[in-house]
Amino acid sequence: MFFVMRAGHGDPALSALGDLATPEAIAAFHKRWGLDAPLVVQFWRWLSGALVGNFGVSMTIAGGVPIADLIASRLPNTMFIGLYALVIAVMISLLAGTVSALRHGRLIDSAATSMAVLGISMPDFWLSYVLVYALALGAGLFPSYGFISPADSLVAALYSGFLPALAVAAPMAAAFTRILRTALIETLYRDHVRVARSLGFTGAFIFVHYVLRNALIPYVTVIGLQVRYLLGGTVVVERIFGVPGIGALMVDAAFGRDYAVVQACALTFLVIVLIVNFLVDTLCNALNPRAA
Amino acid sequence: MRTFIANRLALFGAAITAFVLLAVMVGPWLSPYSPTEADFLALLAPPSLAHPFGTDSFGRDVLTRILYGARVSLSVSVAGVLMAALLGGSAGLISAYAGGWTSAILMRIADLLFSFPSFVLALFLMVVLGFGVTNIAASIALIYFPLFARLSRNMALVVKEEPWVQAAQLMGQSTFSILGREILPNIAAPLFVQIALGIAFGIVIEAGLSFLGLGVQPPDPSLGTIMADGREYFQRAPWVLTLSGVAISIALLGLNLLSDGIRDVMDPKLRARL
Repeated sequence: MFFVMRAGHGDPALSALGDLATPEAIAAFHKRWGLDAPLVVQFWRWLSGALVGNFGVSMTIAGGVPIADLIASRLPNTMFIGLYALVIAVMISLLAGTVSALRHGRLIDSAATSMAVLGISMPDFWLSYVLVYALALGAGLFPSYGFISPADSLVAALYSGFLPALAVAAPMAAAFTRILRTALIETLYRDHVRVARSLGFTGAFIFVHYVLRNALIPYVTVIGLQVRYLLGGTVVVERIFGVPGIGALMVDAAFGRDYAVVQACALTFLVIVLIVNFLVDTLCNALNPRAA
Repeated sequence: MRTFIANRLALFGAAITAFVLLAVMVGPWLSPYSPTEADFLALLAPPSLAHPFGTDSFGRDVLTRILYGARVSLSVSVAGVLMAALLGGSAGLISAYAGGWTSAILMRIADLLFSFPSFVLALFLMVVLGFGVTNIAASIALIYFPLFARLSRNMALVVKEEPWVQAAQLMGQSTFSILGREILPNIAAPLFVQIALGIAFGIVIEAGLSFLGLGVQPPDPSLGTIMADGREYFQRAPWVLTLSGVAISIALLGLNLLSDGIRDVMDPKLRARL
């Protein structure tokens, strides 16, 4: 990743000093940030730092601030929006998926299924504007821009983060609903459910104990897979709603050619995905006694 | 094929996709306007007979820009996904068939790429490669490469053990002909579903990158740059953002329904129950 980044395009010096910078100024900038050292030396400096959580300092967008600090100050916001979106998506999909599976083939199922297909056909940044227009500018229910960090006030963060979280959540909710509906319908016709029904258990008991539990395994697996998209979605949405998170930081750094910051953001996202995947695997094992 | 026609939603998806393809191929040619030339006598004109989708802040006809822009977005996405399908598909096939340490290394690279959030990877690659149309296609290809590699490898591992493949091996067919004639046709259908889905998501990636200003550069139209323009004067001229957004949703809806349809046809067991 390091070498690919350096082999890339554009010079951070030009971005920091402007296109009219003199060659002397550029050379001085290179010297100040160690860009004049051989690549192998630069790589060693970066690797030895990254392993202990030191990603160096920002070169252009926040000159001189350690990147680890930048990330640490913004990570809670991204985690908050991501988790908030996940909760919204799970709640919508549990409700919509269950209702449409139990009433499958009926009108309400067709409505939920159509909504789900529409949901995955709306890119998050486009949905963001629909939400801003309808709920912020139109109905005046939510702020259209700006975010209050959960560290300052949890209630304010829940309120100001609702629209961005909803924009990230909607495509997820659609994908989750589809998989839950399919998994539930598959399970509803399995032999063990028929046996339970013939033994006279009530519908609700069978549903919770024999159907939902089995259908949750593919559901949780898909949640794990979709977390990558969820995190990707936060990048654009953070930018639109002015949420100071890792995604917005990465976009700013991309414009400023701040290599080290872009790298550090990408690595942070990668680490989050790996942690979530681990959690999902653990949860799946817990749900499925046979796999343990 | 008959079941496919019987599936009304899939047919609907195919019709939308055909309509979108026709519109981007023929549309720009029919339009009397230029997608990039400014007309300062018609700035931000609302939809009318002369400009069915209105005009933007440079007086450019929005419908014309959407048609040209959709052509750009679609070509970028198709090029990227086909490249990924070709490279990833062959890598997966070879690694399933040959095995060994090359296969192990290939799959670890695919796993690593696969763990990145796609949009983060796209953003990263745009910084590395530089902003611009060709590089969007290249990053879409790199994002989808691991998916196709995994998919074709997993399916080929199963098909490889089938008796007819072993018969072909015993008959002394070359590896190349076994891969091409015996294995590929049997794993093609899921690859097609993934290609359709990939093209839909590729359009989202292109639009997202261009929307942020990291992809197609203005004044060239793409669905993302038109939406980014529209955002600037959303309050005064809501039609630019709204109609380009509707256009992208229609294209995605068509591709999503189409891929759902193909998948249902392939899995008759599921269809009977749903």
